[in-house]
Amino acid sequence: MPARFPILLVATLGGLLFVALAGVLWGTAQISWADRFAILMRDETAPRGLSLIVWQWRIPRVLAVGLIGAGLALAGALMQTALRNPMADPYLMGLSSGASAAAVAAIIWLPTGMTDRLGVPLIAFLGAALAFVMTIGLSQRRGRMPDPLVVILAGVAVSLMFQSLTAFFLYVGDPHATRNAMGWLMGTAAGTQWHEVPMLGLSLVVVGAVALRNANALDATLLGEERAQALGFRIGRIRLLIFVATVLLTGLAVSVAGIVGFVGLIVPHMARLLTGARHRVLLPLTMALGAVVLITVDLLCRLLLAPEELPLGVLLALFAAPPFILILRGIRHAA
Amino acid sequence: MLHDPVCRDAALCIRNLSVFVDGRGVVQDASLSVPKGEIHGLLGPNGAGKTTLLRTLYRATRPASGRIEAFGREMDSHSHGEWAQVLGALVQSAGLLAGLTPRDIVEIGLEAKGLGRGEVRRRLDEALGIVGLTDKADQSAERLSGGELQRCYFAQLLACDPQVYVLDEPTNHLDLHYQLVLLDEVRRRGRTVLMCLHDLTLAMRYCHKVYLMQSGRIVASGAPATLLSRDMLMTHYRVDAQFRGASLDVTGPV
Repeated sequence: MPARFPILLVATLGGLLFVALAGVLWGTAQISWADRFAILMRDETAPRGLSLIVWQWRIPRVLAVGLIGAGLALAGALMQTALRNPMADPYLMGLSSGASAAAVAAIIWLPTGMTDRLGVPLIAFLGAALAFVMTIGLSQRRGRMPDPLVVILAGVAVSLMFQSLTAFFLYVGDPHATRNAMGWLMGTAAGTQWHEVPMLGLSLVVVGAVALRNANALDATLLGEERAQALGFRIGRIRLLIFVATVLLTGLAVSVAGIVGFVGLIVPHMARLLTGARHRVLLPLTMALGAVVLITVDLLCRLLLAPEELPLGVLLALFAAPPFILILRGIRHAA
Repeated sequence: MLHDPVCRDAALCIRNLSVFVDGRGVVQDASLSVPKGEIHGLLGPNGAGKTTLLRTLYRATRPASGRIEAFGREMDSHSHGEWAQVLGALVQSAGLLAGLTPRDIVEIGLEAKGLGRGEVRRRLDEALGIVGLTDKADQSAERLSGGELQRCYFAQLLACDPQVYVLDEPTNHLDLHYQLVLLDEVRRRGRTVLMCLHDLTLAMRYCHKVYLMQSGRIVASGAPATLLSRDMLMTHYRVDAQFRGASLDVTGPV
């Protein structure tokens, strides 16, 4: 374990606390400092309207965004390990495209009553799961382990198919429904509610705990299939576990906040540069960094064009492009 | 547990092993046994099935039929983890190593064995010293040369020090100095070893017994000095060459 890991983790958790507080204290509504503290302390004198904004609107949103950021970063790190490819990302498996196509189809085609009863999140989750099953199905070879590169290419193929479906739905759909669907596609954490938080938290804790318990096996996976097997690890099982965990984390994230790309790709890289690739240290740092990044970006989304809100996806892509290009250059350099 | 009587005195024993890949018999009815502390070599031209046979031993491939025992333990009746405690392998394969250092690579092997911290540290330092990577222990593995990487994986195996060593082309990418240093170290430890080799002079130098594989079958076996005759090299390796003592005089291909 690198000596600087404890310091890094404490610093990141400190940063997390800071941005989480900032996310709760700042927003479109102007609140005086005295009121801010009164609201946080649940003081009787706090203005009721503002208190409602903070407790029913900002706090669940910051919590959800933090959990989603941590979950997507964790899913990305696990996926990069499973496929032994630094460009792997949960969304590469076709998950986001499947979720988008399903959600857009539901928003545009299904009667409103039915969409409301089922909920767009659930429909999106099912779409993600379907795309995932297709990707894995396409990359299976009889009696042999799927080649990581084939999995990625299958994911690209499945993504393309669902993207064209999404485009088709948007093209033929009526303008009002289309605008709704576009909003969902770009990803937003606006309107997150308390009841969505426990589900996100529970899935993150369970997947995180299982992954950390199997940190040795994940480390061995990095050395390659053959070497991991020679060390006594059953790599097929590890991969399956990772894939299921990824669908769970990504599907839930997509269902709550829409499409939030790049977190799963960039954050694990930052963590790996800081602390190395051993999962015992990499995963906690990745999760904490993911939460920090997404809470920060979400806060900026709320503040930059206030009172209008920017979609999460737009700002994220903007921030993620430079590091993405750096990673790409780094890989070419290594090769 | 019932033992195959032929296997009773062997530390590593393979009986009638057949392996199919895509319906093709890559290893067919292979049997061999290595007594405790001996080094045996698998020889043969490219595509003879040497690597597949070794892969079956460290459970990267499932055999269609046959029986494998190591120190009286039957492979199929042990979990992958238990089996890896007895038999360790040096594998031919590249891996993406983003963010890993040589220290990490050796440590991953040792932690898989479930050793305590102090023991991990001791073995780690010793193994990195043997392969000459102490200075580069904390450098990114991506920046190592092919030979240094091979030494790094060799260090992992030496640190784990299993009872049975399975080595697939252990001298790949290594310069002559390290070929001799590392194989000397393996011999010094007195473990039971099965390895495949292309370098016949190394086979002559280190192996107690060699097997010649051809099209998935073991077609001949014996002490290297007897087996590696001019006729055999002509027939199976398609070279005109002859051993004089430990050195190979090569005339050319035929």
